[in-house]
This record gives sequence, structure tokens and C-alpha cells, in this order.
Amino acid sequence: MKKPVLEITGLQTHFFSDDEVVRAVDGVDIRIEEGQTLGLVGESGCGKSVTSLSVMGLLGDTGGKVVAGSVFFKGKDLLRLSDKEMRRLRGHEMSMIFQEPMTSLNPTLRIGEQIAEGIRLHLALDKKKARSRVLETLKAVGIPRAEGIMREYPYQLSGGMRQRVMIAMAMSCEPDLLIADEPTTALDVTIQAQILDLMRKLKEKKETAIMFITHDLGVVADMCDRVVVMYAGQVMEEADARELFANPGHPYTRGLLGSLPKLLSGQKRLGVIPGNVPVFKQVPSGCRFAGRCSYQTEKCLREVPPLLKAGDRHLARCWQTFGLAGVEAGTADKAGLQ
Amino acid sequence: MSDPAISATGTKKVTCREKGRFESDTVDYTASPLLDVRELKKHFPVRTKDLFRPARDFVRAVDGVSFFINPGETLALVGESGSGKSTTARLILRLLEPTAGEILFEGRSLGRLGPEMMRQARKQMQMIFQDPYASLNPRLTVEEIIAEPLQIFHVGSPVERSRKVSRLLDIVGLASRHAKRYPHEFSGGQRQRIGIARALALNPKLIIGDEPVSALDVSIQAQVLNLLKDLQEEFGLTYLFIAHDLSVVEFVSDRVAVMYLGIIVEMADKETLFRHPLHPYTQALLSAVPVPDPDCRRERIILPGDIPSPVNPPAGCRFHPRCQVCREVCRREAPVFREVKPGHYVACHIRGQGSEARGRKEEVGDGGQETVDGGGT
Repeated sequence: MKKPVLEITGLQTHFFSDDEVVRAVDGVDIRIEEGQTLGLVGESGCGKSVTSLSVMGLLGDTGGKVVAGSVFFKGKDLLRLSDKEMRRLRGHEMSMIFQEPMTSLNPTLRIGEQIAEGIRLHLALDKKKARSRVLETLKAVGIPRAEGIMREYPYQLSGGMRQRVMIAMAMSCEPDLLIADEPTTALDVTIQAQILDLMRKLKEKKETAIMFITHDLGVVADMCDRVVVMYAGQVMEEADARELFANPGHPYTRGLLGSLPKLLSGQKRLGVIPGNVPVFKQVPSGCRFAGRCSYQTEKCLREVPPLLKAGDRHLARCWQTFGLAGVEAGTADKAGLQ
Repeated sequence: MSDPAISATGTKKVTCREKGRFESDTVDYTASPLLDVRELKKHFPVRTKDLFRPARDFVRAVDGVSFFINPGETLALVGESGSGKSTTARLILRLLEPTAGEILFEGRSLGRLGPEMMRQARKQMQMIFQDPYASLNPRLTVEEIIAEPLQIFHVGSPVERSRKVSRLLDIVGLASRHAKRYPHEFSGGQRQRIGIARALALNPKLIIGDEPVSALDVSIQAQVLNLLKDLQEEFGLTYLFIAHDLSVVEFVSDRVAVMYLGIIVEMADKETLFRHPLHPYTQALLSAVPVPDPDCRRERIILPGDIPSPVNPPAGCRFHPRCQVCREVCRREAPVFREVKPGHYVACHIRGQGSEARGRKEEVGDGGQETVDGGGT
């Protein structure tokens, strides 16, 4: 087994307001090995972004606090580092790409200056060397006329180009871990294909470990080695990508796969997960998915299931996991498996 | 537990029919398309730096678009951002005035209608918007939101209206107890249901959905897509469905038109378009869709570059700078949007020639506009 780059154990991040506590991340374990791409999947509000912000120490004044757990990055517990030590890591050994490149780039700085800022800070290069490094990274992410672009401002670039700049910036110091939070969600499909292609090439070349946060299962199948499915602040299932799509062990994962329209499948109806994601204030006492689950039993309502073994390197938080494997899947499930 | 929307609609089969949905008109639609769009254009002037000089540049947002929709059918308009799909929708509702072209609704030209006639015509065409957070007035209750179109058109008494509202809520899978609540109390999917109920309030014939599910999570998206299909079947609705997600489009539509930089590059029935796409852009779009299956290894066509600016669209074929099969003629001449097989239209010099005679090409007009063989055949 390869060495883990990142090991999150029992992470709990809660948000505090006047009279209530929102347990946005409630006991999450994630392990990413060297060179691995791990997909973190789930619908809005499942806690995937909060998990990544907790890792990066970027909760800031969102009101969120990590109340328990540990986050080991290359042997160091990030939660115990000072702000200064975190700053030295961020953008250097670990970096992040966000969904909306326009709001995450500084609109008042030229592209070249923005990328050089991090390089000079972390690698202690002089202006000239930093400049040639910037040029190099811009070329590596496939930006045409890189020298011209260095003198331009973010607003002058298209969405796809901005995301390339973000990636160049994140990769400029050759990080060991890259967290990509919905990096292609705001982009058109053909541009998304370009960016995914670029990320795949960079990953192969640099062997960077990637935490790929997305809601798009198609992108996960395309990019990831291993997948973690989150729901209402907890990990519901974890498996290698191929295993997860071929043999989903949790009813939620099955439901998600079944609700996707699939090209050339001739579906007449989509599978449906009834109801809505539970509001954090009223998290059910047993399994968090029980209220929407068609395999629900008495036990599910009473006791929170632990992550149980559902196959080879495959865990699912479901009391029925073993039963499910044997059950002849319903039509909706079947559609999801094709 | 099954989808609440199905059970709700299932028991409500009679509701809107008994009122006589087509009471005002006695047009025979079996013969003609419900909506027929011909050579539609919208050019927006680009502001010049000199305040007193008129604009010389125009954003050719929609630049000669022709299509038709038969009653009861769903036409999907697909394309990337900036391709002109939303502008086309707005032109049809005359929320924007077209620069040129004609829109026929049930055979009547909307462009020639006066303000009052147009207002009446809009009763027949309603819109569902993309963002369910921005498209509902936060200061009105759900009941007020859904009843507003009824009020504006003076339909029924207050009591009848409130009865209609609870019926509509039921149809879209919400409970009548929700009527007194405000939009912020609902999730995204529920809000989209409210938007759908509002669109249904006036018993329209045509519903234009402008990316109606793209802001929703997948499991909620599936609920809303199923609901839209059920409603279509139940009320015989005609949809113009605008989307960028091709898997969604394939699920909802009967026919698909692919837009690129203000024009339609390919149009065909769903089966043909998804299985035998001809235009290189359609092929690239389809190959770029991420498929939720790790073992699916397709050949991906990665298009170079971005969509060019609609202010100065490339000369000749608009797609030529990104095209893989581009030849000399593509840089020079705009291809004609022509029917290569019954019902399958494509605008490409290279593809779809096959057995087709090339003689049908018409003279290219000024500024590289394309001539279309009248979409409504």
C-alpha cells in the first residue's frame, strides 16, 4: 500500500449560530495516497466543500469550527499548526482550485503578478526567475500566447482560460496535494473536456494527489481512482471507482446513479430518490438516509450504521449492505448500473 | 414510496381538461406546427466610446435561426454559453424585439400583433426559469405567486383562483398547506415546482423552459424531469426546452437543435442526432459528455480554443477555427443549413454530403448569413 498524503480521521466541523449548532461535517474519515485521485461526491449541503475548507484551514469567518478529529498531511497534523505554518504550506505543498475562477482571482492584479506572488513567497525566487517560472507554468497548462496573457487582467480572459490560470497558479509550486472544488462546474462541456484533459495530463506527469470535489458522477468516473460518497455530513460509501459504479453498496449511491439521465439508454423515466436532504437541525437519530430509503428497517431508524465492509476495499454505511448485494435490483437501480 | 409527483398528477387527470383548455381558439393544430420560427435575428448594438456616434458593431446573438415545434412535442435547443439559446427564447415571447425574422404561433405572426393582442397571446406561452431562487418574488406567498398570472388576466373570482392554486400545487407535487408560505421556506427543487405551477396557471399551450433543471442536484433534477414529462403527457403541452446538458436533453426531447454562435448547426430527431450526428460540433459536444461508467473508454474529441466572439464571428463557417475537418471552402463560404435526410438538417460543407446532391446550395447573402430552406416543411 502506498503512503498516504492526506489522512483525515473523525473530522467534525460544526457551525455555530445564536442558538443552534449545524453539524456540517460529522465524523469524516478520508485517506488519499500518493498520486491518487480521490473523488468526493455528494449533493449540495452534504459537507464536501466544508471538509476541504477544514483541511486547508480556510474556514475563516464562516462561523465554522473544527471541533474534533485530525488531519494528517505528510505526517503533520494540520489542525495543530499555527496560522504562519499553515500559510507556508498553502499554495506550496498543498493548493486548491475553486469553482468560480472569476471570484477567486484578484481582479486588480495582472495574471503574471498573481502567479508570481506565490512562487516568490514559497520558493524564494527573484523577480526574473519567478517570471520565467510563471511563463513555464502558463505554457504547461496550454495557454496560448502566454507572454501576452501575463500582462492581462482576469476580466479579459474567458471562463476556460481563467480556470487554466487558476490551475497554473495551484500547480506552480508543484504541490503534493491539490484540492479541486468543482473545478469544471461553471464551464461549458467542451471547455470542461479541455480542463479535465489538462488535469489528467498534469496528474500523470507530476504524480500529484488530487481531492476532486464534484457532484457530477460522470466526471468522477472519468477522473477518479477512488470515490467517497457523502450525505448529510457523513461518508456513506467509499470504494475504488470501478467497484463503486459496478457494485454500489449503499442505497443512496444506487439512487444517485439511478437518477442520472444516461446517453443512448432509451430511458422512459428516471429513478427517483423521494424527498429532500434532511435539514441539519433535524438530523434523524438513526441512519441519516433512512427517511428516503426504500430498504429502511426498524434498526435503521434506531441506530446509526457504522461503515461496514461491502467488498474488496469497499465500505458502506448501511445495515443492509450484505442483503443488498443479493437483492435483485429494482428497475431504477438497474438503469443505474448500466 | 413513489414519486409524489406521479401520485399527485395521477389522481388529478380531469382537473384542467374539464375547464376546457382550448376554450378560446378553434384552430386545427394537427395540420400545422404550433410554433414556427423563420430566419430569426437579434443583433445588439455594442456601445461605442463616442456617445454621439451610433454603434457600428453588433453582437449577433441570434443570426438567422429557423425551426418549428409541432403540438405536443418537445424541441430541445442545445448549445454552450453565448450560443444564443436564451435570446431565442426571449424573442419568441417578445420580451426582446427581433431585428429580423418571423415567429408564427398557431399560424399567426407574433410580430404583427399589437400590445394587447400580444398580451393575450402570451397567455398561451409561459416560461420556466433557470434559477428558482431568483425567479420567485421573495415577498409574496406561494399562493400569491401562482395566482398572479390569473389575476393579471382576470381569470375567475378570488375563491375560484384559490381553488385553482391548490389544484396546481397538487399537480406539481406540493401540498395545499404550502400555499401560505414564502419561497425561502422551500428547497431548490420545491421552488422549481412552484415556478412550474405558475407557468401552468393559465393553461398555456407552449412552455419554454430556460435551463429549468440545471441549478438542481441530480436526485432533485430527476424528480423535476419526471414531473415535466408527466405534465406534458397529461395536458398535451408543447415544450421548447433549453439546456446545455446533453444527457438531460436526450431524456426529455423529441427533436434537438444544436446552436453555435447564433445559428443552428444541426437539427434532427433525438434518435438520429444522438446516434448519427453529422456536424463536427455536435460530435464534439457528444463526445465531451462525461459518462458515469469508468470502463467506458470513448474517443474524446477535444475542441481547441473557446467560442469566438459573436461581435465578429469567423468568416465562412462559424465553427471552422475549431473544426477538425475544416477545408478551404469552410473559411470562405458559410454552409447552407439544409435537409440531408428527411427531418435531419445540418449546416456543414463537409458532412452529410454523401448521396446528397450539392446543387441545392443557394447563393450566400451579404455578411455571410445563411439561407435556410423554410424550416416548416
